[in-house]
Amino acid sequence: MQPAFRYTHLNTPIHRLHPLVKLAYLLLTLVLVMYPIRLTDMPILLIWLAFSAFLWALARIELRRFATLLKILLGTFVFLILIQGFTYRGGETPLIVLGHLKLWEADLGVIKKEGVWFGLVLSVRILAAASALPLFVMTTPTSAIMTAMGKLRVPQTATFMFVSALSFTTLLFEMWSSIVDAQKLRAFDIDAMNPIRRAFKAYIPIITPLILLLFRKANDFQIALETKGFGAPIRPTEVETLTTRPADYFWLALIVGVFVLCTVLKFS
Amino acid sequence: MEDHRVISLENVTFTYEGDVVALRDLNLAARRGEFVVVLGANGAGKSTLCYLISGIVPHIYGGRRRGDVRVVDLDPWDEPLYITAQRCGVLMQDPEVQLFMPTLKAELAFGPANLGVPREEILRRSREALALVRLEGLEEHNPRDLSGGQKQRAALASVLTMQPQVLVLDEPTSQLDPLGRWEVGEAIEQLKRTGDLTIVMTTHETEEVLHLADQVLVLEQGETVLQGPPGRVFAQTDRLERAGVKTPALVQIQALLQLNRADQPEDARWSLTVSEVADRIRRAVREGRLVIRPEAVAPPRRPVTDGPVVLEARNLTVEYPGPPPVTALRDVSLTIRQGEFVGIVGQNGSGKSTLVKCFVGLLRPKKGEVLFRGQNLRRFSVGEIARRIGLVLQNPDYQLFTASCRDEIRFGLRNVGIPENEIDRRVEEALQRVGLEAYADLFPFRLSFGDRRKLAVAATMALGPEVLILDEPTTAQDHRGRYQLAELARQFHEEGGTVLMITHDVDLIARYAQRLIVLHEGRVLLDGPTAEVFARVEELRKSFVVPPVAAQLAQALAPLGMPAHVMTLEELTRALTPTEG
Repeated sequence: MQPAFRYTHLNTPIHRLHPLVKLAYLLLTLVLVMYPIRLTDMPILLIWLAFSAFLWALARIELRRFATLLKILLGTFVFLILIQGFTYRGGETPLIVLGHLKLWEADLGVIKKEGVWFGLVLSVRILAAASALPLFVMTTPTSAIMTAMGKLRVPQTATFMFVSALSFTTLLFEMWSSIVDAQKLRAFDIDAMNPIRRAFKAYIPIITPLILLLFRKANDFQIALETKGFGAPIRPTEVETLTTRPADYFWLALIVGVFVLCTVLKFS
Repeated sequence: MEDHRVISLENVTFTYEGDVVALRDLNLAARRGEFVVVLGANGAGKSTLCYLISGIVPHIYGGRRRGDVRVVDLDPWDEPLYITAQRCGVLMQDPEVQLFMPTLKAELAFGPANLGVPREEILRRSREALALVRLEGLEEHNPRDLSGGQKQRAALASVLTMQPQVLVLDEPTSQLDPLGRWEVGEAIEQLKRTGDLTIVMTTHETEEVLHLADQVLVLEQGETVLQGPPGRVFAQTDRLERAGVKTPALVQIQALLQLNRADQPEDARWSLTVSEVADRIRRAVREGRLVIRPEAVAPPRRPVTDGPVVLEARNLTVEYPGPPPVTALRDVSLTIRQGEFVGIVGQNGSGKSTLVKCFVGLLRPKKGEVLFRGQNLRRFSVGEIARRIGLVLQNPDYQLFTASCRDEIRFGLRNVGIPENEIDRRVEEALQRVGLEAYADLFPFRLSFGDRRKLAVAATMALGPEVLILDEPTTAQDHRGRYQLAELARQFHEEGGTVLMITHDVDLIARYAQRLIVLHEGRVLLDGPTAEVFARVEELRKSFVVPPVAAQLAQALAPLGMPAHVMTLEELTRALTPTEG
């Protein structure tokens, strides 16, 4: 089993893009979704999401990856829509009336149209934010990420922690999968359990061996790192070099342009 | 004259925190270019010695040391690890934890870049190291996507770019398949040929290092029991056996048949190739010192041909999704009959694990089907399969999670719905079967690796399966513990069970299996009685499977009347009798 959003080596315009431009896209996405949220923000979020979808398509990222992302977030979306539907304060239009349960000003027995809409806006906001990271991770080799972070003067230890976390994710997925298989051999099938049972009971036989194994691996990992001079009080050499091409400026301008458009629309 | 020692340990005693003495009064001296092999059972102190030389002790693992340690003119105890690391590189067993960078190129540059080595110099070292381990052209690959042997060679190259003068190899081939072992062995041989590096290597595979070693050190419970040139050390077969070290098969045969040449210097007394030993035996037979007695060898083990079929694979094709997609099994069909003891060999990636995962329902084939006693396995639930077919994985730590050995066995029994009073009976029986009854209430992670594997076998056997599948039962085991799981499987087989054993260990196959299946690139390459399959040397070579030394000698001696089905040392020495006088 591999992580769903692992770097894939392809030769697309997005893969060739300078990591700092992609990083700029990532940061602007985060800025956009951090703006104070309103009911009327849906078109702005959809513009940014459509722009992200365009970048995803250009990077030739398979549609199933997006489906995986949706699958991961679906529970959160349903929760947000329901909770906002029941509790949104500015809502007056009842959509479904289950009864009347007054708590301060809110009527918790009624699902309001405005609340559902607000829940949807929040969901799209999360989706817009979440779809930016896979685009960055799946199209940028980790070595380029490290170099780019170095250019931004991020300390080497922090960069390495980020990169090794990405690398450890693969190991974690492989170990998780092996443990699930090992427990199935003793008739413990986590995949066949309902989500409630899974959440309350099933993870102990999976997570306990995972943690114990990770502790053991972490020790060896430390040996491998320190015997290669990691942490030495010496300024490390930059081996990888990044070059900027005219296309990078074009893409940077485009990304900033779309961001400015969204910002203007939001505040106008 | 004072010689220049690169490594020097004098009267070294090391005690870990918690007062566990790991090494006692150890002395070791190695010069530039010397190859030192360290042998010993698990727990003998081999890894501690590696840690002492490389500075991992005390900087990562703490403890108390007595005596002097000098490695390239410095004491690793007094220097920060990054200083020692510039003189002494370490390669560990598991390549997975030694590779953490996204590309091979970045992996090789990681060490020297941390030390501020100029960029051009790093690139030059990387090119050299890649050429030495023969991984040129893979610079842009993610090290995690490489094969086992390639990964370990990549890890070795990443150590070499630090340009150490001492290289410590801690069981570098123990987790690899025969091809991986050969690849890493070749790289190590190449390093030895350069003559610049002083190499210290720990291993259980004495055959692999026999021709490389300049000095052999045998440890037992932290103490040196044998030390000296390989010829002298390996001649002490009884002492090696007591220390839990395998005497190389070729040396053992010569010792048992008294073929060593006492008139020669120590290093030349033993022949180290099959053809040379076969020549010695032929000469001894011609001169009347040995007699071949075919009747002394038991008839060959035959596979079961008339029992009911318990497991059947019909046209199995399994594909793992990519990118890129990998076809692990291609149209594989075979049957396993009740009461068979079947060995399965093949390179990593040949489809062995995929096949047994299909047999226990962990994988659903893309095409084809698996039948258990004539019924499609898809009809069985996970619990129903667990009660019929037991698979013991290579690494027991993937399944152990409870507070006691007893609970660990109980877990599976509860999952399949066995009544509580019956559970207690089965738990005790299973613990007794594997000899762990004294540890019933112990936390499983406090057991040794070998005992944890036994516990995993007990947990599987308690479910009462008809078929037992063992995945690499000798992995990470020393010579003494090597056959413990196989012996448990043999008992199970004698009681009427069916056994499938995946392994790279041909001696294990020779000793236990009646039938041998060789998988290669997802297909069945060979399938038949073990001795017959081992006789097909050319086809086996495709899959990097080398028959056991005894089988190779038997084939070489067949024109003299040696039965061709001889596969073990015991059989060979039984068939060769020294004449009186």
